[in-house]
Order: sequence, then C-alpha cells, then structure tokens
Amino acid sequence: MSFLDLSAIQKSFGPVQVVHDFNMSIEKGEFVSFLGPSGCGKTTVLRMIAGFETPSAGTIRINNVDQTSLKPNQRNIGMVFQAYALFPNMTVFENVAFGLKVAGKPRAEIEARVREMLSLIRLDHLASRYPYQMSGGQQQRVALARALAVKPQVLLLDEPLSALDAKIRVSLREEIRAIQRQLGITTVFVTHDQEEALSISDRIVVMNAGRADQIGTPSEIYNKPATRFVASFVGTLNLIDAEVEDPATNRIRLGGHSIAIRDSLATHKAGDRIAVALRPEAASLNPSSRADTQIPGEVISSSFLGSVIRTRLKVGGNEISFDMFNDPGLTPPAPGEQVTLHFAARDLLAIRD
Amino acid sequence: MKTQKIWAWVAILFGSTYFILPLIATFEFSLRMRRGEYSFDAYRSVFSDVQFRESFSYSILMALLTIVFGVLLVVPTAYWVRLRLPQFRPVVEFVTLLPLVIPAIVIVFGYLRLYNSSSLIPFTGSARGTDLLLMFAFMTLSLPYMYRSVDTAMRTIDVTTLTEAAQSLGAPWRTILFRCIFPNVMSGVLSGAFITFAIVIGEFTMPSLLNRPAFGPYLQLIGANRAYEPPALAIIAFAITWASIGLLQLLSRFNKTAPAKP
Repeated sequence: MSFLDLSAIQKSFGPVQVVHDFNMSIEKGEFVSFLGPSGCGKTTVLRMIAGFETPSAGTIRINNVDQTSLKPNQRNIGMVFQAYALFPNMTVFENVAFGLKVAGKPRAEIEARVREMLSLIRLDHLASRYPYQMSGGQQQRVALARALAVKPQVLLLDEPLSALDAKIRVSLREEIRAIQRQLGITTVFVTHDQEEALSISDRIVVMNAGRADQIGTPSEIYNKPATRFVASFVGTLNLIDAEVEDPATNRIRLGGHSIAIRDSLATHKAGDRIAVALRPEAASLNPSSRADTQIPGEVISSSFLGSVIRTRLKVGGNEISFDMFNDPGLTPPAPGEQVTLHFAARDLLAIRD
Repeated sequence: MKTQKIWAWVAILFGSTYFILPLIATFEFSLRMRRGEYSFDAYRSVFSDVQFRESFSYSILMALLTIVFGVLLVVPTAYWVRLRLPQFRPVVEFVTLLPLVIPAIVIVFGYLRLYNSSSLIPFTGSARGTDLLLMFAFMTLSLPYMYRSVDTAMRTIDVTTLTEAAQSLGAPWRTILFRCIFPNVMSGVLSGAFITFAIVIGEFTMPSLLNRPAFGPYLQLIGANRAYEPPALAIIAFAITWASIGLLQLLSRFNKTAPAKP
C-alpha cells in the first residue's frame, strides 16, 4: 500500500472541469514533481491534497487514512508557497515556531525544534530578523523550515522557486532535495520548469489539460515521452512526420529513406502517417559507430547557444534541429549547404497524440 | 522653471494662510477674556467646568467603545470579503459608503422610529440602551473611514496565502485572524481608530437628538451662550486632533510589519 494515494480525483469549477480522473500512488519518502504548463491542473491537485480545494469526486488517502473531507488544519501537511507567505509581523524564530505553538507544544520543545530547523536551513544566525529584512532565497528557506517544523506527513511545494533569480533557484532546489533526503519526507513539488523537475525528482507527473499524460522517472520522461505533448514540453525535441512502411518490421519512410525503428508499430497499418521524435543531441554531422542511419538535408540556419551550436536542417518535408558541442575550431554549416545527418534509428521514438 | 517654482510657493502660501490665519485669529481671541491683556482665563474656565469634564469623558468613553466594536465588526468583515467573497466587494464598499450620503439627522430619525421605547427593540427606553444605540450610530458614521483604512491595509498583504499558510500549520480561524491577519493590518486599524475618535468627539446631531451628554452638544451650548470659551474649545479640539495624528505617526514608525518581499 502506497503512502499517498490519489484515486479517481476530479475537480470542476462551475461548468469547467479542470482535473479529470487523476490517479497516483506515491511511496513514503518519495519526491514527486507535477510538471506542466499554466492551467494544466497541477496546482489544483496539490491544493486538493492540502485541503484548500475539495475534489468533485475521488478520494485522497495518506497512510491509509481518508483525508478527503478533512479541513486543511486537520491534515498535518506542510506547505511552501511561491510567495513565501511568511507572517510579516513575526520574526524568523516566531514564524518557524508558529505551528508548534498552535499545536500547544511545551516552550522548551518549541525552542529546541526551531533551533534544529534553523540549523538545518543554515539560518540560525538570523532568528531575530523579520521577513522584510531578508532576501527572497532566505525567506523561502524559512518557509521550508516552518513547514517542516511540525513534522508533517507530506510536504507540498507549490512552485517555491519561481520568484527567485536563476542562481538562487539552482542552489535552493539542491538544498530542498538534500533536506528532503535527509528527513525522508514524502514530497510533492509543483513546477512548470522541466529542468527543475528533471533534476530533483524521483518521479515526474507530466500534466496536460487536467490529465496525467505520463508518470515516470526523469529518464523515462525525457528519453521515452509517451505523448506528443510530453515530447514537446520536456526538453527540445524534433517531431518528424513519417509514413508507416511495414508495421511487421517497424519500418517507416522518412525523407525518402526506409528506417527500422525500435518502437512497435503493430497497431498501425502500412501508409499510416505517424509522428516520430528525435532529440537534438541524438543526431550529428559526423559518422559514428552508433549512428546506423544517414539522411541528407539542407541547412536552414545555425545558432550559437554557448556550449552548443544548434543547426536546423530541411529533410524531406520536415525541419530537424541537432546540436553540436561548441569547439573553437569548428565552423558551423552555412545556410543552403547540403549535409548528411547521422543518427541511430533506435533513437527515433514513435509518439502517440 | 523659475516662474513655476514661484507660483508653487504662492499656492502653498495661499493655502497655508487660508488654513492657519483663522486658527491664529481664534487662538488670539480665546486669550482676550481678561480686558486689556492676554490670558488663559477662557481655557481655565473651560477646564474647571464640570459639564465640560463630564461631556468630554462621556465622548471619550463612547469613542473608545465605538473603536473596539467597530474594529471587531470591520476587520473580520473586510477579511472575509477579501478571502471568500471578493465578488461582493463592490456591494460592501457601497454599503459602507452610505453614511456619507445619508445625513446623520436622517439616520437618527430612522433609529428613533425603529428603536423607540414602544418598539420591539426599545433601545431608547433606558439611558444605557440609548448609549448603546448611540454607539451603534457612531459605528455607522465612522464605517466609511474605518472600512477603507482596514481594507487598504489588507491590500498590502496577501490575505489568502497567509491564511492558507496558517491553516496548513494547523491554526484555527480565531488564531489566523488575531495572530496572523490583525497585527499586519494594525496601521489601517489605527488610522480608522483615530478618525473614528475625531468623529465621535465632534459629533453633534446624533447625541443631541438622542439626548445624551456628549461633547458635541456641549460645544454647541457653550458656543450659543459664551464669548471666549468657544474659541478656546475649538483650539482644544484641534489640539486633540493633532495629538491623535501625531500619535498615529509615532505608532506607525514602530510598526515592524513591512510586507514580505515578493
């Protein structure tokens, strides 16, 4: 039995259904990210776990106890908000102690627990500061300590890094992950930033229009996107139109070339139009022992992106982008130049809509 | 540029003269009670008057009660409207503005029709009942200012997120309101409180028609029968108002509740 169970969850606001039949089981100590664009329903699911929204249908169970009809203050769930939500009238110490005071803990226990939490986030020296005297990153760490102080069953993080600048975002996400591992707390993290989700999650739920399009490890989500949406949302991906040539041998026709792919095409028939995906880093202009497929194309443009050079090619009726590592001696191909693209046929993924 | 500056100074000078000159004249006149020399006799006369002390004490007590009950009514209302009923904000704003457009005399006649001694709720049947009715009347009069002050203060904090943060930490509604919201709108509550204080101290119509011994009717009585005491009372009233404003500035300087950085 999993620790956090979301079973057939639905949510409607008036006539608009924003979450459709959402099912998910999360193990104790797992770090799960809900990833998706704005309005996909990820925050609504999180708010239903917290108790701020009531599901229109379905049940939420934590440690085998039904939470669906419990009020937010009865659930013992820690939550960190995008806007920090520190109480402006309280010092850092008082903010972290708030939940413990509400729970009626003895003063000595509160003192010890707050000190422990502040030391965990390495802000013990700022205990007497007010929120307005601290930076955004510091405030968010205090918010994390405050949420953890009450020893919640589940920690919910609602886009906690969105309001921070890029550098702080990276360091804080690593800190959050380290603290989560140290405490072994079950965590649900909501983000629209794929890099964030890929870097810190045990599993990722990619959400689209109120549904979970794919649930998997970061590697599965990135390397084997299940739907066209996941493929286009996570990372940069070439979506290429191809024609099924022989379903029995998984052969497709791409730019006049016959290629055997790894994914099964058994559900298709010859002549069907399908979409296949290819990561930009999976193709190259140079032959290699791994690259068993070559197709010619015409260069449309080359863009310098720092560590890589991204080149766009016209292949048949498709546009394919691929990346080359930047090398000072490398001359990017010029627009109009005819080149040959090398890649491994097994890197082509059949994508369903 | 230089001409613009000169005109700005002219405007400031004109405005200041318009405001300060009558005050100086009033003050000067209040010092003329003794023939041929300046003295504070008028002030002495006012402060030694038992009726002044009684009416002033009564109005101060009424002001304090109005502030306490007004805050207890307005803060939870403004909070709830912001949190759960934002679509009703225009309605609530309109209702709280009504005392500005309905004259006090109309309101008090309405009260007398509704709450007279032979009505279902006979507030005016006893002195204490009338005091209570007067306090409610003062609350109504100060509602536009109190509600706006508190609502403006609430705008500076993220009421919804703070509430949800407190809820997730196990706090019940009472704790959320009094420990997380109320201290963060204190500046608004204080502004509303001082405006309420000024309104209650100076209000004539309602206490006069409800026949209560407040400071407003006393001012009118003195004004009609004495020469030097009324300007002395006017100066005292101004001093109290300015002291209130000064106190407000002082308290807001000690306010530690600057909003959290976004």
